[in-house]
Amino acid sequence: MSTPLRATVQRTALPFLVLLSAGIIVLGKADQMVLDSVRVGVTDALAPALDVMSRPVAAVGTMIDRVHGVVSLYRENRLLSEENERLLQWQQSALKLSAENKQLRSLVKAVPEPAIRYTTARIIANSGGAYVRTVMIDAGSGDGLARGQAVISGDGLVGRLTEVGVRAARVLLITDLNSRVPVVVENSHAAAVLAGDNSDRPRLVYLGTSGEVRVGDRVVTSGEGGIFPPGVAVGVVAAIDGGVPRIEPYADLSQIGYLMAVDYGLSGGLPQPVPPVTPANRRRKGNVAEGAVR
Amino acid sequence: MAERVFSLPALPRVPSGAGRLLPSATMVFATLIAVIPVRAPGYAALTPAFSLMAAYHWTIYRPDLLPPFVLFAVGVAEDLLTGGPVGVSALLLLVARAAVLNNRRYFVNRGFAFVWAGFTILTAIGMLGLWAVHCALDMTILDFRSTLFRAVLTIAGFPVASFLVGRAQRALIGPWPIGAR
Repeated sequence: MSTPLRATVQRTALPFLVLLSAGIIVLGKADQMVLDSVRVGVTDALAPALDVMSRPVAAVGTMIDRVHGVVSLYRENRLLSEENERLLQWQQSALKLSAENKQLRSLVKAVPEPAIRYTTARIIANSGGAYVRTVMIDAGSGDGLARGQAVISGDGLVGRLTEVGVRAARVLLITDLNSRVPVVVENSHAAAVLAGDNSDRPRLVYLGTSGEVRVGDRVVTSGEGGIFPPGVAVGVVAAIDGGVPRIEPYADLSQIGYLMAVDYGLSGGLPQPVPPVTPANRRRKGNVAEGAVR
Repeated sequence: MAERVFSLPALPRVPSGAGRLLPSATMVFATLIAVIPVRAPGYAALTPAFSLMAAYHWTIYRPDLLPPFVLFAVGVAEDLLTGGPVGVSALLLLVARAAVLNNRRYFVNRGFAFVWAGFTILTAIGMLGLWAVHCALDMTILDFRSTLFRAVLTIAGFPVASFLVGRAQRALIGPWPIGAR
């Protein structure tokens, strides 16, 4: 490159890139789906590096858990023995109810429920910032994951898959500002929407009357909208702030190392990213799913 | 005016390829470690802005080795990786570079406390700007506390980051370019 040309490029590169960044922000705001395929590509490409880099930190976490486990061995053993006795009683009830349920289903010729498929994956990245609550996991479409599937931990609902690459996928946590989950308060059967606001305790909105909700009430998914199946445990009403109930999720999102993506065989998942319109696929445009639910 | 703001100073040539790649490599590394999951309550939201630390350090000491397109690429990759609105981190890093480059002569050959004070001002303004951009994009007033704590952690973490990057710089590039302003 000649010297005057190089000097011109040097002088104009910074303002040009500042404008380009601002342009991309506006473009991304106007149409989120445009950048989704790029996101999936970058997620996939960087997944191996993130997998390697997150392993030492995960190993330290496991080691701390082990030391903690050894220290509290006696107390934990006693608690688990008690819990085991309780659960054995529950098991008897469950087996009885399951047999009864099966009999009744055959009597009324009910359609069998689809088999539920779980895929366990490790968290390899978090969102690292104050404005987004997502995590990345080391499983993708190659492992049977699909956009829209619910993601749970052993304790309860964690979020749902919003981007799925071949090797990695992104989970939008229920605490994210853009997360909306149709739920029902178990005691009063009041339907509501669990809306994240980037805090640790998402809010219950679109609730008929707030008087129907009390601190300590259990909240589960309602299944409306077809993205989540009904009855998945979400959390418990922890406080009512100025008439707005706040939910403490059962899943402690800061302490989770592994997650399970759950394929309930539901058809109402999120639409796939829309491919750009080219003359070749313009004819098929009518068939392309429109709109985005993030 | 624009010529003075965005033109680069003449700095000694770096013979080793590793040395020339060090600033870009630091930026990539800073972006990746920011998203590593650490099982500590609230850490994800308060992760220090490692890439801003690296961008500040290199813009003061070797802006010639960290071209704006690297900042742009790293910023865009950071947003794609974290799931945030694409372009916001790139904008922050590029504006930070413009601001630091414009005032670079005050920082070169000054004590660390002065450089740290500069970073404090940059982080405070940068985090406030970031908060304002996110509020505008989400069309709501976001809770400012996590932004504030993140800014504090970023400022508090800068001496360690600067020490480590400084050691790598001395090993691969050489000492500060005394007198080069």
